[in-house]
Amino acid sequence: MKQGQLKIQQMVFMLLAATLFFALVGMLVLNLKFSGLKETATELEEKNAMLLVAKIANSPEFSCGKAFGNQEINCIDADKVMILKKNIDKYDNFWGRETNIEIMKIYPEGDVVCTLGNYPDCHIINLQSRKIHVGYSNFISLCRKDSINGKVYDKCELAKIMISYKDWREDGI
Amino acid sequence: MEFKLKNKYGQEELIGFVLIVVLMAVIGLIFLGLSLRNPQKEEIESYEVESFIQSFLQYTTDCGNYRENYLPIKKLITMCVNEGTCLNEENSCDVLNFTLTEIIENSWKVEGDRPIQGYKLKITLEDGTEVIPSISKGNSTKNSRGVSQPFTPLGENYKVDFTVYY
Repeated sequence: MKQGQLKIQQMVFMLLAATLFFALVGMLVLNLKFSGLKETATELEEKNAMLLVAKIANSPEFSCGKAFGNQEINCIDADKVMILKKNIDKYDNFWGRETNIEIMKIYPEGDVVCTLGNYPDCHIINLQSRKIHVGYSNFISLCRKDSINGKVYDKCELAKIMISYKDWREDGI
Repeated sequence: MEFKLKNKYGQEELIGFVLIVVLMAVIGLIFLGLSLRNPQKEEIESYEVESFIQSFLQYTTDCGNYRENYLPIKKLITMCVNEGTCLNEENSCDVLNFTLTEIIENSWKVEGDRPIQGYKLKITLEDGTEVIPSISKGNSTKNSRGVSQPFTPLGENYKVDFTVYY
């Protein structure tokens, strides 16, 4: 074999080795990336839930607006939420995929779940009627119009809004 | 002479080969490092304590005056400062103290294995005078989250300080 042929053969082997090496490194990188994909997706859902819980009380769908005097922050109109609960199918995936929202009275405390039949003598408003598992919570003032001896007044109670998010790690896919 | 020349060529090739291997190893390590590097998580804001103050100030108490049958806590604070009495003859400061104690106990449970070690609530006037005695429970640890919120109902300045210890 001539010197030139030997050099070409060496170069071919070298190129093959380099290609194989980069292919292996690439495969390793891809494998690592995809194994962390579910975790990243869950982290994003978690971040979304955290941002949502801090701001949702002031969104038009929930906020008291000027119905209870001055425009208060972290004030949720309970009557509005009950109507929202009735029409919740129109808000499918509006706050994120499989996001569950629940409002629970802290003071006075109780465990009666709200329906259109027992409202306002109840303590928990579960918007999507799904179980809340992992998530974030924030304090809010849950207000409604009440009456005593025919006189209407503003009744505000302390509550917590809880938002649970989709945990992609639980998916078997 | 020919042998020496071949040997020299061999040495050069060996150096080249080593250089390529080192270069590939460095590139590989950079790739690996980049793929393993986790994105830094942002700090979580202390929104819960702030929201708690804003929310409890709106809570409707059982105390009323000739204008309103049921006053929210922020108005009850003013009533307490003015040494007012509720429609049901109760002392406004007693109602304020009782209601706030109940609210905080229900919201920040200290008992058992809970992460919260203690809390402290202080409502003061502009000159530092306490409206009601400070409400506290548990231990004051080094880790805490606190918010000081000033508010001015009817032109008077108050400050609500609330700290939660972890």
